[in-house]
Amino acid sequence: MNFLKVLKINGQCSIQDLGRLHAQHLGFSASGAADEYAFLSANQMLGNLQNSAALEIIFGQLTLCAQTHCTVAITGADCMATVNEKVVSHWQVHQLQAGDILSLSIPKRGLITYIAFAGGINSKLWLDSRSQTLNEQSLGFNEEKITVGSKIFCNEQHKPIPRETSINRQSPDNFYKHNVLTLRFIPQKLWLDLAGEQKQQVIEQHFVISAKSNRMGYRLSQLPKPVLAHISNSKTLSKPVTYGTIQLPNNGEPIILMKERQTIGGYPVLGNVIQTDLFRLSQLRSGEKIKLQPTTLIHAQQQLNTFYQRFI
Amino acid sequence: MKETEEITLSYLCENAVLVEWPETICPHQHQKIIYFQQQLQKNLADLIIDSVASYTSLLLYYHFDKISSAQLDCILRELIKELPSISPINHSNIIEIPVYYGLDSGWDLEFVAQQTSLSIEQIIQCHSQTTYHAYALGFTPGFCYLASLPKSLRLPRRSSPRLCIPQGAVAIAEQQTAVYPTSSPAGWHVIGQTPMAMFNVESFNNQTSFLPAISVGQQVQFKAISKEHFTDLGGIIDNKSVKESTKERRT
Repeated sequence: MNFLKVLKINGQCSIQDLGRLHAQHLGFSASGAADEYAFLSANQMLGNLQNSAALEIIFGQLTLCAQTHCTVAITGADCMATVNEKVVSHWQVHQLQAGDILSLSIPKRGLITYIAFAGGINSKLWLDSRSQTLNEQSLGFNEEKITVGSKIFCNEQHKPIPRETSINRQSPDNFYKHNVLTLRFIPQKLWLDLAGEQKQQVIEQHFVISAKSNRMGYRLSQLPKPVLAHISNSKTLSKPVTYGTIQLPNNGEPIILMKERQTIGGYPVLGNVIQTDLFRLSQLRSGEKIKLQPTTLIHAQQQLNTFYQRFI
Repeated sequence: MKETEEITLSYLCENAVLVEWPETICPHQHQKIIYFQQQLQKNLADLIIDSVASYTSLLLYYHFDKISSAQLDCILRELIKELPSISPINHSNIIEIPVYYGLDSGWDLEFVAQQTSLSIEQIIQCHSQTTYHAYALGFTPGFCYLASLPKSLRLPRRSSPRLCIPQGAVAIAEQQTAVYPTSSPAGWHVIGQTPMAMFNVESFNNQTSFLPAISVGQQVQFKAISKEHFTDLGGIIDNKSVKESTKERRT
């Protein structure tokens, strides 16, 4: 079977597909690729199934050695990838021969890079998914953590790689916004109960992404004080939480739940960030700023539908 | 009907709806939630991705590309109308969990005794004489939220969570009690330890399934056992990490 060997690793690297969506009732995190735009693009470029597992690399710094001939696609944050020390173009398909060394540097912007393999990664399947979840690694159900020496096995590719021209692909620049990202959210009661003036304060605020953000949740700087006073009064029993839930702990620093979220949470909830904006958020680093803006369920569903149409 | 007015449906995001009942911890109401969940699985299997139950709510993930939220809303409201007014609790299948309540397994027993002004014997009696209802699975796989704890045992969570407690730790916090299925960080007060596995993994025809010892909606009771019995059943006391647990995570 085809495999690549990990020679160097300095960032965070895991195997991801679209997630473990049917085991949340058992307490398993849904997990899955953080930036579905880059993830699905990579699989599409290779003619893979949408759910084919790929490597998700946070903050670059990974070196792989191909043991046999294989075909890869590199998308997401640009890590100035090299093959045998020669820079190769980003958001492209590349052929690797046995002995070729593929290396990623630290990206200048963005956070997450995907390396997808023609045929997809073949790793331990657990409850219908190959996605690795950091908090569940110790249970031993997921593939072992990727370290120096790990072997990344790939399935045989049966389908030919689509020709570049046959792919109806938009430029990634149209998806990722390069000014301050506005996260559109579907409001919940807590938001609806705020006074008009308080809502305005939240909408106008620039929130800073905290260094404590990770695949589980993105933490933001504090809400405006008057809004906080209103919220700290509400107390609820633990309820199921979902992708994009905006939690408000007592310290007033919102947490936006991401792919590796827990299944149940006890904090008051302001609303839910729409999924297409969560894919964009996953590429932002600590210190970068975002804004919040309410939207409607219908709009969110239209956005997501249109998004998935691109990958059919 | 009055019943349906009390139940709210919130379409939280593109593909999930939260169904909420009044905010009270009640086994009868919860039984209704579980019954509702079963009806959904029976009637809407093709449209449902997963559903997660908690104390007073159920989150339903659905294929929003197959059914509109308006259509789903009609179906859900019909199913809610048809819910039986009383859901009997099944007392026949109580899960018994053996617990060794000792100072070496119950790291917070003395603290709980101090705070509640109960003796350790009284704590054990209080905790093991109550039948609990399993309200939710979550936090970590196989972790089951059990309630309600007798009022005399209710304490707020630890002010600083422990970084690591052993597998099988039996703990309490507020109105809840639970068993930690694996060694993990914990903000609850540990009063004992069970040798019983909180989940099993079975493989059949290349299909692996994860079977939690407690299912949501089941009844649970704890039974005090001696240290000898605990060890006979395969329990292991972790003395070392008591002191170290607040300092560093053990691997």
